[in-house]
Amino acid sequence: MSRYAMVIDLQRCVGCSSCSISCRTENNVSEGIYWSHKRTETVGTFPNVRFHYLPTLCNHCENAPCVRGCPTNAMHKLDNGITMHDSKKCIGCRYCMINCPYGVIHFNWKDPHSFWRGKEAVLKGGTSSPVEENRAVGGKIMPYYNPEREETFSGIRPKGVVEKCTFCDHRVKKGKLPRCVESCPADARIFGDLDDPKSDVNKLIGKFRPFRLKESLGTKPKVFYIRDFSSASYPKTKGGI
Amino acid sequence: MEKKKSRTLISDFLSNTGLSRRSFIKTTAITGAAVTLGSGMMPKMKALAQAAAPSSNGMGKWMPATCQGCTSWCSVQVYIIDGRAVKVRGNPHSKVNLGASCPRAHLGLQQIYDPDRLKVPMKRTNPKKGRNEDPKFVPISWDEALDTIADKIMDLRKNDETHKYMLMRGRYSYMRDILYDRMTKIIGSPNNISHSSLCAEAEKFGPYYTEGFWGYRQYDVTNANYILLWGADPLSANRQVSYYSKVWGDAVDRATIAIVEPRLSATATKADEWMPIKPGYDGALAVAIAHVLLTKGLWYKPFVGDFVDGQNHFILGQTVDEESFEEIHTHGIVKWWNSELKDKTPEWAAKLTGLDVDQIERVATDYGNAAPHAISWVGGGPVMQVRGGYSSMATHALNGLVGAVDNKGGTQQTNKEYTSKFPKPDDFLDDIAKNGKKHGKIDHRGRLHFPCLNSGKSGGGVITNNAAEGILNEDPNEIKVAIAYMNNFSFSAPQSERWERALSKIPFLVHMTTNASEFSWFSDIILPDTHHMFEKWGYVKAHANGYRHVTLMQPIVKQTYDYKTDETEIPWLIAEKLAKRGFDNLLSHFKEYKDPETGKAPENEKEFALYSLKHATQNLWDPAKYKGGDKIKGWEEFIKIGVWNSDPYPIRKKWSNMKTKTKKFEFYSETLKEALGKHAEKHGVTIDEVMKATNYLARGEMAFVPHFEEPFILGDEKEYPFVHVDHKSRLNREGRSANCTWYYDFKDIDPGDEAWDDVAKINPIDAKPLGIKSGDPIKLSSVTGSLSCTAKLWEGVRPGTIAKCFGQGHWAYGQLASKEFGKTPRGGSSNDIIPAQYEALSGASAYYGLTRLKIEKI
Repeated sequence: MSRYAMVIDLQRCVGCSSCSISCRTENNVSEGIYWSHKRTETVGTFPNVRFHYLPTLCNHCENAPCVRGCPTNAMHKLDNGITMHDSKKCIGCRYCMINCPYGVIHFNWKDPHSFWRGKEAVLKGGTSSPVEENRAVGGKIMPYYNPEREETFSGIRPKGVVEKCTFCDHRVKKGKLPRCVESCPADARIFGDLDDPKSDVNKLIGKFRPFRLKESLGTKPKVFYIRDFSSASYPKTKGGI
Repeated sequence: MEKKKSRTLISDFLSNTGLSRRSFIKTTAITGAAVTLGSGMMPKMKALAQAAAPSSNGMGKWMPATCQGCTSWCSVQVYIIDGRAVKVRGNPHSKVNLGASCPRAHLGLQQIYDPDRLKVPMKRTNPKKGRNEDPKFVPISWDEALDTIADKIMDLRKNDETHKYMLMRGRYSYMRDILYDRMTKIIGSPNNISHSSLCAEAEKFGPYYTEGFWGYRQYDVTNANYILLWGADPLSANRQVSYYSKVWGDAVDRATIAIVEPRLSATATKADEWMPIKPGYDGALAVAIAHVLLTKGLWYKPFVGDFVDGQNHFILGQTVDEESFEEIHTHGIVKWWNSELKDKTPEWAAKLTGLDVDQIERVATDYGNAAPHAISWVGGGPVMQVRGGYSSMATHALNGLVGAVDNKGGTQQTNKEYTSKFPKPDDFLDDIAKNGKKHGKIDHRGRLHFPCLNSGKSGGGVITNNAAEGILNEDPNEIKVAIAYMNNFSFSAPQSERWERALSKIPFLVHMTTNASEFSWFSDIILPDTHHMFEKWGYVKAHANGYRHVTLMQPIVKQTYDYKTDETEIPWLIAEKLAKRGFDNLLSHFKEYKDPETGKAPENEKEFALYSLKHATQNLWDPAKYKGGDKIKGWEEFIKIGVWNSDPYPIRKKWSNMKTKTKKFEFYSETLKEALGKHAEKHGVTIDEVMKATNYLARGEMAFVPHFEEPFILGDEKEYPFVHVDHKSRLNREGRSANCTWYYDFKDIDPGDEAWDDVAKINPIDAKPLGIKSGDPIKLSSVTGSLSCTAKLWEGVRPGTIAKCFGQGHWAYGQLASKEFGKTPRGGSSNDIIPAQYEALSGASAYYGLTRLKIEKI
């Protein structure tokens, strides 16, 4: 059995969010909800200042607090290490969200894709309302709906349930890489099996000293980070008093 | 949509605050209580839940396409399920973007299925035109729209006033010449006006007048040891964002990267040196770097040559005898030193630029030590300025000093490609057309104060934004009938309000567009255009990575409404209507665009669109016509792959074989001297008078060498204390992303910007005395206009400047783009505060280092 993991090379990452936007199109993720996300930070004072970008997603923790806190087993682990969710079992209690130290689980407070529920057209007879447009195109809620997501999960998650990244389990099952990995223009995401000693993730984990988020909490995340977003050089100095 | 703000910082994520391991165990013990608590929230699942049986290979198919979200023009693929576009990725067959796609391509999905797209032609029923006049558009048939257009054109022809016809071009493919060139000529007008000088003409000026290349360079970053960027932000915007994103992690490993830019840009976030220069002083920094390279003996001798005696005579303040230096592939190094460089020390530049003198010295030295694999990358910022022409030359000339021109790890021109031109129109121009064409152009190019020296020719380039003045002043004549496509000058051109008045004045204006925009608002007929990425036949060319590709646009989706294509189908349909009215020259010309495979002439607009593309690209896909690059077996294979790649770039073939007057890389530009001379002669004046008329300070020989000029910045410093810094977003699809929800949901990937907001970035040092806090609604005003947006205090912007991203501030375009369609903008449009000024030698509109601003809380 595989144990899937992802390495994110921060030096290659250009901070463009292609991962997050393409995730929207693969998983039909609504506005305001981010299965793939980032943390940013501007550090320093002009002119000694840099902007940093850290891509985030569900860490698919080996010791997943979200799973342990779920009263209905909606949040559960698959044999391949993926932390999976079942919308049908979800009662919307949000204990998983409270337990997750990474803030990567999102709750549908309202009907998803609210833009596409609009009924107004800007030019009468000349343009469509969002609802009409979707109907004419033949999508589901929104015109660019991806039905492939339904193969293992709710195509669109309704109001009242949580949702989060599934490592694109429906793709991985068919031997395809998660969508964010495929679409990263910088090749900053490397996906693979920790149980395969020859996998690229193992090669990179062995070559660098990877770090994981809030490691000492003991969650054992499966998302590993290597190198630095800003790998700038600087003139040699011993400082001074 | 509400604002989404994530305030957890990276540092919080790396440290272990909050929950401890122990607290997790506790939470698992309360599951029983959770069941009770959660039971009131049972979700409604119903129809949304499940369907679709799993399939092994996916339900759709990846089809080739081209993204024109910016002018990178990447080859992409679109995932199509039952005729619907669902996902986008880079086309792995392209050697230019190498399967990579930057984030903006994905937004194409929200554009094609934008509910605010026009689905039928519409006509104006309110005869009054103006910003506050609702056009009261009503739907009409294609037939009625085309009949009306043909009647208006026939009226011009009957009265021998075809020069009062005008064609305005925005985003184009290389099918453009059908509508832009052929149709305008055959009708009989000189007035085809492109948007090019709103784009980057000044950026081409420096390379042309040093190495004879009017075009965009490609930069061999993976072989470079130093990359010095001037206002260029390749990880974010224009050009080849996908390619540079793909290889930047490797470039960072090998090269030192320095970026000159008053704002901490996306590329600056990953640079070794950020040089937050005072806007407008790039030329000073460039000549100081040149001074260091020469005084320290760091120029690349195999390219530039050396002193005959082997000693370095470039000594601070001392002139040098021209005979003492023997140049190899360059021209005029000593003249440049004597006239401009000899006194331009880092100390001198530090005072002007506001930069640290040690940093200037260090960057110059390290850059020189990296020769010849040392790129000087000229972006729009330092050159799209009133006096930016010579900054363009100065920044680009550094490539000449270090031998990076046309070299490995340096700057390169374009590869050969083998597309063909469309049939010539000459035989179809009647006397009316020939007379009409003789009239002067509406944009005034080539006049004394607008040399527009594209490729050395006076009046060779367009001066787009000045066409508004031509229309308003009926100079040289009034415009009676105008057709425009995929442009939005009343939003995208500086001091847009001028366009609102100019367009209101045109009695009959037609706009082909996907969305009813600020331009459509003043139009009489609006026509629903196809979307370039999914719905039209066409091709574009782009280059990077040492290759050039020709990438196809194809109709790959089920078209939702009866959109028609701007550059091919609509001109054909107009030609048919004109033929019915007794003028069949245009249609007869179009019938010459035969299918290369069958020899058949087109019989309708669909065949015309297809045959003209097959004609233009035949050398790429027809094995019998093969000239180079990828070997493609035929048309069917070509449309399946979607892209043709050239042969690799041959380096150093242009050394001493450049298209300059001397064939050398010119530090003293004989090419510019000749071009200015011809322009002066045309107007019976001296070159000094041309300099004066174009707002330049150089006189005499200085006009021919790269040099620093004090910037031309509008607004009194006391009243307008801050200098404006305009920039682009990595999600801007030109100016057309503002109706996409993803644009707002991810706007904070532009460093300093916020999701679901439009912010002006102000250094806290400047904001605090004014009592301005992040989140305050503010008004920014220049001498020509104002905008409203939100304040953001940010350390990544130089004190004394205010940085604001272009892209929002639409008052039309769609329900999301505007706060209230046709009335109130969402955010602020940069062009409302940027005055209409020009870098007149190239014709480029000035955007940067141009205007001062004041801030008021509102």
